[in-house]
Amino acid sequence: MQFKLKSMWHVALILLSGVILYFFVSNDEFLYQQPIGKVVAVKEEKPTKTTDVYNNSDETTRQHLTFEILNGKYKGKTVKISNTYSRSGGLDQKFRTGQKVFLDVYKKGNTLEATISDYKRDVYLVMFSWLVVVLLYLTMQFQGLRSLLSVLLNFVIFLFVVQLDVKLNLNNFFWIFAGAAIVFTALSLVLVIGFNWQCLVTFTSIFLGTTIALVIGCLALYATNSKGVHYEALDYATQSPQQLFLAATVIGLLGAVMDAATDIVSTLFEMKRSQPTIAKKQLFKSGQAVGRSIMGPLVNVLLLIFFAETFAMSVLYFRTGNSIPYTFEWTMALGVVQALISGIGIVLTIPIASFLSAQVLGGKRHVSD
Amino acid sequence: MSAISLLTLILAFLMVVVGGRKGITAFLSVVFNFVILFTVVILITGGLPPIWVSFFAGICILGITIYMGNSDEKTSNIAFKATLIVLAVMLLLIIPFDHFAQIKGFASEQSETIEAFDLLIGADFEAILISTTVLSTLGAIAEAAIAVASGLNEVIEQKPGITLPEVFKSGKMIGFQIMGMTFNTLFFGMFGSDLALFILLYKLDADFSYYLNSKIFVKECLAVLFSSVAVILVIWITTYLVGKNLNEHRQKIDN
Repeated sequence: MQFKLKSMWHVALILLSGVILYFFVSNDEFLYQQPIGKVVAVKEEKPTKTTDVYNNSDETTRQHLTFEILNGKYKGKTVKISNTYSRSGGLDQKFRTGQKVFLDVYKKGNTLEATISDYKRDVYLVMFSWLVVVLLYLTMQFQGLRSLLSVLLNFVIFLFVVQLDVKLNLNNFFWIFAGAAIVFTALSLVLVIGFNWQCLVTFTSIFLGTTIALVIGCLALYATNSKGVHYEALDYATQSPQQLFLAATVIGLLGAVMDAATDIVSTLFEMKRSQPTIAKKQLFKSGQAVGRSIMGPLVNVLLLIFFAETFAMSVLYFRTGNSIPYTFEWTMALGVVQALISGIGIVLTIPIASFLSAQVLGGKRHVSD
Repeated sequence: MSAISLLTLILAFLMVVVGGRKGITAFLSVVFNFVILFTVVILITGGLPPIWVSFFAGICILGITIYMGNSDEKTSNIAFKATLIVLAVMLLLIIPFDHFAQIKGFASEQSETIEAFDLLIGADFEAILISTTVLSTLGAIAEAAIAVASGLNEVIEQKPGITLPEVFKSGKMIGFQIMGMTFNTLFFGMFGSDLALFILLYKLDADFSYYLNSKIFVKECLAVLFSSVAVILVIWITTYLVGKNLNEHRQKIDN
């Protein structure tokens, strides 16, 4: 009974923190420099039907919005802006009363004018982050938050490396990210496993698996002259797209290879602990067995991540009269190549991790840690 | 030969060499999932409702990933059931969040790529976004569900007299172990594919407000957060289902 009371307190406190956080973030205009406007009135014109040359019919609607400015020196003033939205909403959006928007406000004579710069999304991002932290806490208390720590730490390093890349502006910037990948791996492993033999074996397997997969990938791309792959199709590229793509592939493949290597090495170390006399050969065999069972699901994880991201772009290509092969080459090919190279990395890591663990654990040596 | 065919051949070869017969099944599951994803794009382009298409495609993908990736039928059944529940819950969670956060379609940073297009193509970009988000989490939850279900079954087999609270405790332990690594897989997979975006953001001198509010950044962050929630939920539900299964099994024996 006492346990129930305690957990009810817990739940109440967690809910309260959510309510307070929500209240705070929905009224945080005072924290921003840029003027924020709240939609107080909406007047809509009649929608216009449009049809393009590919026979796609759509609808655009013009709306006249009145904003009340919530912060800064124009606080309390109202501005009128018109906005056009389409039914499909590729780049635009419909506004409703109560929604908040970042504005660029300027004075024209005596009247205030403004344009919409961005929609205010912080509430949703913060509240969902809160939900994740709460779920982690409920599942495994503070231990669960530790697994977030390694991700957060990696993210900070990631941002730092990006900054380094922009500042240095090297020709061969791929190596910056390759170096960063090694740091990511080492850090995550030390945080999850601790610094010991197991960590060292896992690290070496990941390093070898990733490197060999990348070399194979590059050789295959070189041998086929990257036929059917257009690096120019990479979104947001501001540096050499080919190197950027390779750097992205290294980071993308690292997570999955890490997953595979940790699974295999930790299973084998655990086996050695419970059966100290186990033979080298048996260890290698068991490692391969673990690897075989995770190989398919892991490759699928990456395929789904890389492929699903291209949906919006692919539909846009198809609907504007492009053929299937053309659309595939320009929207999906890069993601598929990434998934394939990562897959090769995952598969290669299996024998490497099994072999290395067997070598280190085999013979009479005991697991000392 | 195109680069993709060569890489596919290399992957198939390696999977067969390392995995033997299981490698062939694993490779086929990847091919099937690819075909399903491609069909989803074609069907959405054809005007079918994206959310329903991806819901049914999601069930197929889960079935293929779980049953072709795992040979033990008992654990597969539990994993499949758990992932189906999570798929439904995630849809209910993603639909309102994606709607309120308004992260559909393309971001202004992408304008260089899309300026050649007329965007009035009559597609529902919000629904397309929902299907993207749902489908990209499926791999991770399938993997986590299999890991928890087979791990727990191993525990139960080694200790036949195990009590239910002990099962739940083991589920938590196994869940904790795989969670850290699954987060890493998701993190590196998603942020790796956004590397170019991050470099661009740095060059644009983006400030804190930009990170909290811009369409593209919020969209990518929510994608990672959605997957994390899905993975946590699948660990809970799988553990619960294994426990329930064990209980029913024991009651049957008792009677």
